[in-house]
Amino acid sequence: MFQQNGLSLDQAPPISVVFHLFLIASFFGILAGFMILFYQETIFDSASVGAITLTHTLTLGVMVSFMLGALFQMLPVIAGVVLSSPIKRSWWIQVPFALGMIILLLVFNFTAYSQLYSVASLLLGSSLLGAIGIMLHKLIKLPHHSASSHGMMVALLAFAITILLALYLTATLSGLAQGSYYTQVKTLHYHFGLMGWVALLIISISFQVVEMFYVTPPYPKILSRYLTGTMVFLLLLKIPLAFLLPSAIITINTLLALLLVSFAVITLYRFSQRKRPLADASMWFWRLGMGSLILAMLLWIISAFISHPLMASVTYIAFASFALSVVFAMFYKIVPFLTWFHLNAQGYYTAPMMHEVIHPKTAKKHFWIHRAMVIILLLSLFIGKLIFIAGVLTILSFGWISYQIIHAHLLYRKTEKSGEKFDMGK
Amino acid sequence: MTISSYMKDEHRECDTLFAGAEEAIALNKWEVGEKRFLAFANETLTHFKKEEEELFPTFEAQTGNTQGPTQVMRFEHEQVKGLIGKMAEVLEKKDRDAYLSLAESMMILLQQHNMKEEQMLYSMCDNILPPEIKEETLAKMKEVTI
Repeated sequence: MFQQNGLSLDQAPPISVVFHLFLIASFFGILAGFMILFYQETIFDSASVGAITLTHTLTLGVMVSFMLGALFQMLPVIAGVVLSSPIKRSWWIQVPFALGMIILLLVFNFTAYSQLYSVASLLLGSSLLGAIGIMLHKLIKLPHHSASSHGMMVALLAFAITILLALYLTATLSGLAQGSYYTQVKTLHYHFGLMGWVALLIISISFQVVEMFYVTPPYPKILSRYLTGTMVFLLLLKIPLAFLLPSAIITINTLLALLLVSFAVITLYRFSQRKRPLADASMWFWRLGMGSLILAMLLWIISAFISHPLMASVTYIAFASFALSVVFAMFYKIVPFLTWFHLNAQGYYTAPMMHEVIHPKTAKKHFWIHRAMVIILLLSLFIGKLIFIAGVLTILSFGWISYQIIHAHLLYRKTEKSGEKFDMGK
Repeated sequence: MTISSYMKDEHRECDTLFAGAEEAIALNKWEVGEKRFLAFANETLTHFKKEEEELFPTFEAQTGNTQGPTQVMRFEHEQVKGLIGKMAEVLEKKDRDAYLSLAESMMILLQQHNMKEEQMLYSMCDNILPPEIKEETLAKMKEVTI
């Protein structure tokens, strides 16, 4: 393997790394569906055990696994970062991460075993901070930075802060810390997690993939250059303000929300300017995602003036819809492309084409399931019984994704075993 | 004119031709689609030739490195050429589904290739090549045909 100035010949890590992480993410998604069936309408009360368990299943279990998978793949391709021995490293991350996740979800529900918070913290903290450390270390050393690689660094920094804040919370819950600042830290924890890690990473990846996948004009320079930095600055500003001047937080929140709304509006506008006029499922996932982000942020701004539990629930659902829709949008490009790309790069001229890996119609069906799930979940705020349908649709949605990953993996292995290839002279 | 701006314009031109062909074929307008596809293939292969015969050797001579980024770009050019061949085959058979599927791979492959060139290689060329060599290379590239 050679590497010079960010360009590398063996750019992509083994495909199994990405497939494993995506599969873990979908299994946690299926688990989230069962949780909706189990906790029912209590999930709408943000302080309830059900809401906390479900939120962490979605944010940590689903989002972190998907995003780590995407980062493992994208860092080499779009930021020129080469991760050495990615398989070994990813197992060192995946095993303690999955174990830590399960323990954390259990201890949320069985508070009598609160000492387990320490075990969960150790496993999750070490695996995730380790992964962040490796990626940040590689990113910092890059000689040339793009808006995307810069944004990724900022997102990873926000993720590290989210975890450090979580460690304070779990230390309090397990009795190791007094927790005098528990409430403030809790708010900062989920703000850094959602607005920092999740939103910033999606934004940074968008700066690259929106243009790449749909052939749109690039984002305006002012946005790609300053958005992620400004957002993390505002988030960091919240730390002292939370303790010294809590009344100023509303202003910061409003600014953050407006920045995200402008990102979503510009993304939608860029889609309208795309050179490839075909609207596949991934385009619809993007549109749903951006629409959901606008809704979530507008409601968040309004909630500073008119507080209502219903509005808070709709905000959370809309934000979850934003994050999941964008992840699915990228999934339907990344998985078929990687399957084809890896096989093609190895010289298999019988490599399955992208549509053979996941047919556009299959992706479109998933879009309908996902959209129905979001709508039914919103409706179940008014008609409680619908929550069961929302739960079933969540299981179906992530089951659908799991099937696509397994199918792609089997197709990949089949081609490797029996496919015909050119002699690449290796 | 910088190498970056000249080459970027060519990338955008290829994108436009490619998207036009894809749109026509999606609508089963085979004749228009074929014409646009040929224009795309022609433009892309000329662009590759400019790089492989003029820009890359100049860069390699300046840096003394023939196994670096230019080698990666040449390898990716071969991948793109392979796909152009496959697309031409399915175009002849009027296999819409296969064309659109290959088009999807082509677009992502090409875009990630272009990004690497635009964000790294071309900027490096603009930074390290002396002005007179840069001018000369640009002039030579403008004359390349296939």
